[in-house]
Amino acid sequence: MEAALWTEKYRPKRLDDIMDQEEIVSRLKDFVKRGTMPHCLFAGPPGTGKTTAGLCLAHDLFGERFQDAFKELNASDERGIDVVRTTVKEFAMMASLSSVPFKILVLDEADNMTGDAQGALRRTMENYTNTCRFILCCNYSGKIIEPIQSRCALFRFTPLPEEKVVESLHRIAKNENLKSTEGGLKTIVEVAEGDLRKAINILQAASSISKGISEETVYQVVGRARPTDVHEMLNHALKGDFLKARDELRNLLVKYGLSGSDIVRQIHSEVFRLAIPEKSRISLIEAIGDTDFRLVQGGDEEVQLSALLAHLAAQSSVHRSVREEHVTALDR
Amino acid sequence: MSQPWTVRYRPQTTREIAGNKLALEKILLWLDSWSKAKPPKGAVLLYGPAGVGKTTVAEAVARERGWDLVEINASDKRSGDILSRIAGLASTQSPLFGRGRLILLDEVDGINLRTDSGAIIAILRVIKESQFPIVLTANDPWDPKIRPLRDACLLIELKRLGLRQGIPLMKGILAKEGVIADEEALRSLMERDRGDMRSVITDLQILTGPQKTLTLEDTALLSNRDRTESVFEVLRIIFNSRTVAQARRALDKSEVDHEMLFQWILENTPSQTPKPRELEAAMSALAEADLYFARIRKTQSWHLLSYALDLMTAGVAVAKETSPGGWVSMKFPQRISSMSRSRGTRELRKGVGALIGFKSHISSRRGSKLYLPMIQFIHEHNPEKYRQIAEWLDAKEPLDEILSLDSELAA
Repeated sequence: MEAALWTEKYRPKRLDDIMDQEEIVSRLKDFVKRGTMPHCLFAGPPGTGKTTAGLCLAHDLFGERFQDAFKELNASDERGIDVVRTTVKEFAMMASLSSVPFKILVLDEADNMTGDAQGALRRTMENYTNTCRFILCCNYSGKIIEPIQSRCALFRFTPLPEEKVVESLHRIAKNENLKSTEGGLKTIVEVAEGDLRKAINILQAASSISKGISEETVYQVVGRARPTDVHEMLNHALKGDFLKARDELRNLLVKYGLSGSDIVRQIHSEVFRLAIPEKSRISLIEAIGDTDFRLVQGGDEEVQLSALLAHLAAQSSVHRSVREEHVTALDR
Repeated sequence: MSQPWTVRYRPQTTREIAGNKLALEKILLWLDSWSKAKPPKGAVLLYGPAGVGKTTVAEAVARERGWDLVEINASDKRSGDILSRIAGLASTQSPLFGRGRLILLDEVDGINLRTDSGAIIAILRVIKESQFPIVLTANDPWDPKIRPLRDACLLIELKRLGLRQGIPLMKGILAKEGVIADEEALRSLMERDRGDMRSVITDLQILTGPQKTLTLEDTALLSNRDRTESVFEVLRIIFNSRTVAQARRALDKSEVDHEMLFQWILENTPSQTPKPRELEAAMSALAEADLYFARIRKTQSWHLLSYALDLMTAGVAVAKETSPGGWVSMKFPQRISSMSRSRGTRELRKGVGALIGFKSHISSRRGSKLYLPMIQFIHEHNPEKYRQIAEWLDAKEPLDEILSLDSELAA
């Protein structure tokens, strides 16, 4: 059955199919040519092709024996030390049956592994280098402990340049018989910020409305994924309506599943657009920064953000009463 | 002292029960509806503070109608197994000699989930299968662990008795015992025991010895019972305290745990503290308290707890400079209710996320985060394409369920 999700349907199968990350791909091709490779660390933002590169590399290396010689574990789901000691070790120690003397284990989202698990992994990587090469994928290489980093060849994946994203979208649109306007694709590219998975998902969602991909259809999709309700929430707070602001906050957290720091970041970018005195802007930024820091320290998202909204509402009442005094003074 | 007065003067019929007339009417109506067919709610949850007559009501209605009362009490051992055997027997066996039955599950909020893991499920099954009316009683109907029961029951509240109902009741008993009492003494007892008639009657019996009189001075002999307040009263104390010590003391009376109380305070602070300046101060105290909770979780430094507790009670109390105008009703924490409502979909989401993750080479968490909104969008705009995707993921059933639950939540 053909893949129904386009991100899978159009995922490159071989290194030759990968259209970008040229330097990385050429080095990986070199591994295939020589029939050997080191442990690798693929670091970079989501949707830049880390897992795909690992899959393609394994395909090119193992060909038909791919099934036996390749394993993928998601470190977020199976990130405990037990998994490293059992599943990982069992796979790593068994010799490969293919002509290539080693197997490949891809550990996705490895930066979500606990420190202990990473520590345990380090010995496994060393002990079974002959039979198994590891590819660790992560968003931030800094979250991988140094001993592991030093055992790996580091590949940094960068966000895809706009023209590459457009190219991929064009190819898919053509194959799916979509009619896309320049503006439609451009909007997708802007929102995706170099994340190809995101771009393709938006395209597929937009195509469910109509075969014509225009700015409007795209906005309909991203309007959903990226609520502008942060602005609404702030407006309620600034009008002094704390309860409405809190309802909106709960909406963002529960219904849209935004994280607290997502919301803080959006509030920060809104500060410059709010109708408040310049001095208040600065004190507001201070309050936002404080909230952000508290979230980092483990504060509860709803509690901390509610406190920020209450602060905003109180500030607004000061502004309002100042204005009202001004008005009554004029009346006299 | 022969028989305890609480036993001797226990109401035998519903007519003898003091107060709570409306609640009684509701129960009788519901019981009457059984004569035609089993009503949509097969059980009643009678709730209210101790000593207002929850068990008495159940006993009186059974007696009045000549029904057998099958009772299971909190003090009985009630693991899910035993419970379903006893109650199952009582509820499904056809009655000999045509006598009716009333099943009483007393103090269901006393269920210990750790030792009685299957109890709630067993009770739900009994409610579903029962051929006879079931009465459950509880002090705190909002206890999260009996939430599933709440949905399956008709909720009827029994309120504390006021002076107007309590004093005639006391006088009636005293007249039968031949005791002459000051009205003031009776008032003082009612206030001291806060409408808990069981306590009142016990106190009456203790105080009236052989002398057959009762004065206000006599009541001073009693020491106050330690009692836990319902969460509403704890909140009322906190929001109306003027001093730190007063607010902090409310905590000793609270029977809900700290985290739960925090949610209650958080939910109700905005409506209790409407002035923006004061609300800001109160919310900031709560945010500070929350940080202490986070530190405790992280470092297990439980000595920090007292700062968190000070801030969430006294911090909120003193933020309020003006006295509250009138009565503002308290709300159940939405956080808790929406959590238990979305608990079902959370599990489903996780499962679907794993299926998406498996096919898309990502974790289950990111699977649901990155793909569910898009799938939801396609579901709304193009059901046929949605079906293809859901089937390819082998996730049609759970996805359908998530989407229908979501639209219910939205509505």
